[in-house]
Amino acid sequence: MESLSDTKWDVVISGTGLQNSLLALALSRSDKKILHVDQNDYYGGAEAAFSLQEVGEWVDKVQKDALQPFRNATLWKADSENPESQKLSFSRAYTLTLSPQIIYTKSELLAQLVSSKVYRQLEFQAVGNWWIFAEGSLKRLPNGREDIFQDKSIDNRAKRSLMKFLKFVVDYENQTETWEAHANDNLQNFLSSQFQFPPQLQTVIAALTLSLDPPDNTTVRWALSRIARHLTSIGVFGPGFGAVFPKWGGGAEIAQVACRAGAVGGGVYVLGTGIQDVQNAEPRPEDEATSSLSLSNGETVRTKRLIPGTKTTATSKNMTSKVIAVVSSSLNSIFMSSVEGSPLSAVSVVVFPPNTLSIEGSQLNPIYIMAHSSETGECPSSQSVLYASTSHREDSKLVLEGALSAFLKSVDDSEAQILYKLHYDQQESPDSSLDLAFDDQMLDAVEKQWKEIVGENDTASFMQFEERNSMNADDDNDDDEY
Amino acid sequence: MAEATAPKPSSSVKLVLLGEAASSLVLRFVNNDFQENKEPTIGAAFLTQKCNLPTRTIKFEIWDTAGQERFASLAPMYYRNAQSALVVYDLTKPTSLIKAKHWVAELQRQASPGIVIALVGNKLDLTNETSGSSNAIGEDGDEAAEPEDDGDARKVSTAEAKTYAEEEGLLFFETSAKNGTNVTEVFTAIANAIPETSLKGARGPGATQSNANRAEDQSRVNLTGPRDNASKEGCAC
Repeated sequence: MESLSDTKWDVVISGTGLQNSLLALALSRSDKKILHVDQNDYYGGAEAAFSLQEVGEWVDKVQKDALQPFRNATLWKADSENPESQKLSFSRAYTLTLSPQIIYTKSELLAQLVSSKVYRQLEFQAVGNWWIFAEGSLKRLPNGREDIFQDKSIDNRAKRSLMKFLKFVVDYENQTETWEAHANDNLQNFLSSQFQFPPQLQTVIAALTLSLDPPDNTTVRWALSRIARHLTSIGVFGPGFGAVFPKWGGGAEIAQVACRAGAVGGGVYVLGTGIQDVQNAEPRPEDEATSSLSLSNGETVRTKRLIPGTKTTATSKNMTSKVIAVVSSSLNSIFMSSVEGSPLSAVSVVVFPPNTLSIEGSQLNPIYIMAHSSETGECPSSQSVLYASTSHREDSKLVLEGALSAFLKSVDDSEAQILYKLHYDQQESPDSSLDLAFDDQMLDAVEKQWKEIVGENDTASFMQFEERNSMNADDDNDDDEY
Repeated sequence: MAEATAPKPSSSVKLVLLGEAASSLVLRFVNNDFQENKEPTIGAAFLTQKCNLPTRTIKFEIWDTAGQERFASLAPMYYRNAQSALVVYDLTKPTSLIKAKHWVAELQRQASPGIVIALVGNKLDLTNETSGSSNAIGEDGDEAAEPEDDGDARKVSTAEAKTYAEEEGLLFFETSAKNGTNVTEVFTAIANAIPETSLKGARGPGATQSNANRAEDQSRVNLTGPRDNASKEGCAC
């Protein structure tokens, strides 16, 4: 095998999580010599996606080595001996993602995937339906103003205050007089005092924030920006949805595509190889400062710059409990579109506001289930995958179980049994976001790293690339050139 | 070409490249071009090339490894939905057939069950079996032997590779990217071997193409605008 130590690298990137992969994409036309390694033998870091077999290997690793930022991983499979029960398909029929973040249509990430031309290797699907769990059943969240007018369950007075709120919130940045004095107040108080919302409406509005905290612990400033993003994202790429999800495993797929772009640009990729030790080499006068890195494969490489991977020291106490469940039903009813002309929804969001589950103990935090249909490519066609998460507490595993069973009961589908469950906890860290929606702050961090590497004098624009000359002789056709 | 009559059905087919100098074979196919000291990677995200069959047109989307195979770091997305693969070895280097067998095993492990794999022994021009120049020297010195007295640098017999290909159910060809021998034939054979049901859009046996395409369009979101949704990105049938 060729040696990595022969090259003097400009940049060594450690870890192929989404952020570092996007950096590799950003640098893919920079003519820098880039070595991109990952101690894992898979792409995606905390955003990885796995077959069932890979999930098994991952669980072993989490249990044995405490694979940051994950812990408490446990696996459960339905009894396959039982002839009555439905069966799991083969391992690679599944792609289960550790981080099923939805991407709002207004996210700069989508614009950058387009301007960097890699979007063609991705396929995006609609996050079309939002459901809220109340009194044992699922209620569709209104998908825009027209829906609210037609909603007979909202009385006229509430409708008026809701319309007033919606009008305000899409323009909240210009209407500071309404909220700035309350910016650090909690959302629940704000909605009841400023808009006279009844509790039921408060939970509907709070659901749109995807906050892992209850509304009385969610700040107004943060919540307004999230609600505004939600509402203004609807319709950007078509009617009836405001967020998208990459087929075949979400962020993991973007990371792989970004790394491929890095490789096409000349970057060298080595999985299963981490950085064990960093030493600053003797500075030589004619040289820029370099570091010498000991890799876990025994090689030592020299680089001008190192982009480090996962910090083992957790910087936050925030932790989310998650469960991924494979269900033996296509759950068609929750993916059905309510808006004419909208694409088929591949992902539906189900919100359980605090204290809506009847379980032993209490459900203090909201619970979210991202339901993925088989259209996402994550499971065989008669099945679906549920990704449930809630803020970590002692009893959050039980709470998640309660949400799964309440959800399955409410869809009233006798076919729907759970075939497979992966429970785990995830700690927040700079490269492990607990947010249920992609946060554009990651892009700012990538741009900053990119700028430091290419230098202030470089006039290239961030993530703006021409089509690669594909040496395509096939220019007589009317299709897209790649 | 056949403008006068109704257009033939056209489908996109993902083809992945693996093995020794597979890019040179593709450049011969796509551009009818050959460069002696080609870089191992193409430097493009992928190439496209149409292949016209009597009843349909196959548009190959040809994916290069971009060098990610060198340290066994090919991503799952490389294999995903690949309906065909080209695994190339150098018939003047026995070790390259061993590598090719490794890639075939990897495809059988990672790719879709119905994938059409073509095993191709390249550098036929270095044997004395064609009229092509027989004293050309391989690009890397280590194993690419100097032509022997009879002008034949072949180190992998046709029979050996063919037997292996038959055992594994692979298409088999010997080619020369340098002078073009058999190159078009490889791609035509792959195009012919792809079952109608696995063409893009078809979701399992029995799905008629139009239905299947509609299902696919229904969930796809076009990021470059709400208009012409799926009319361009899809398989343009």
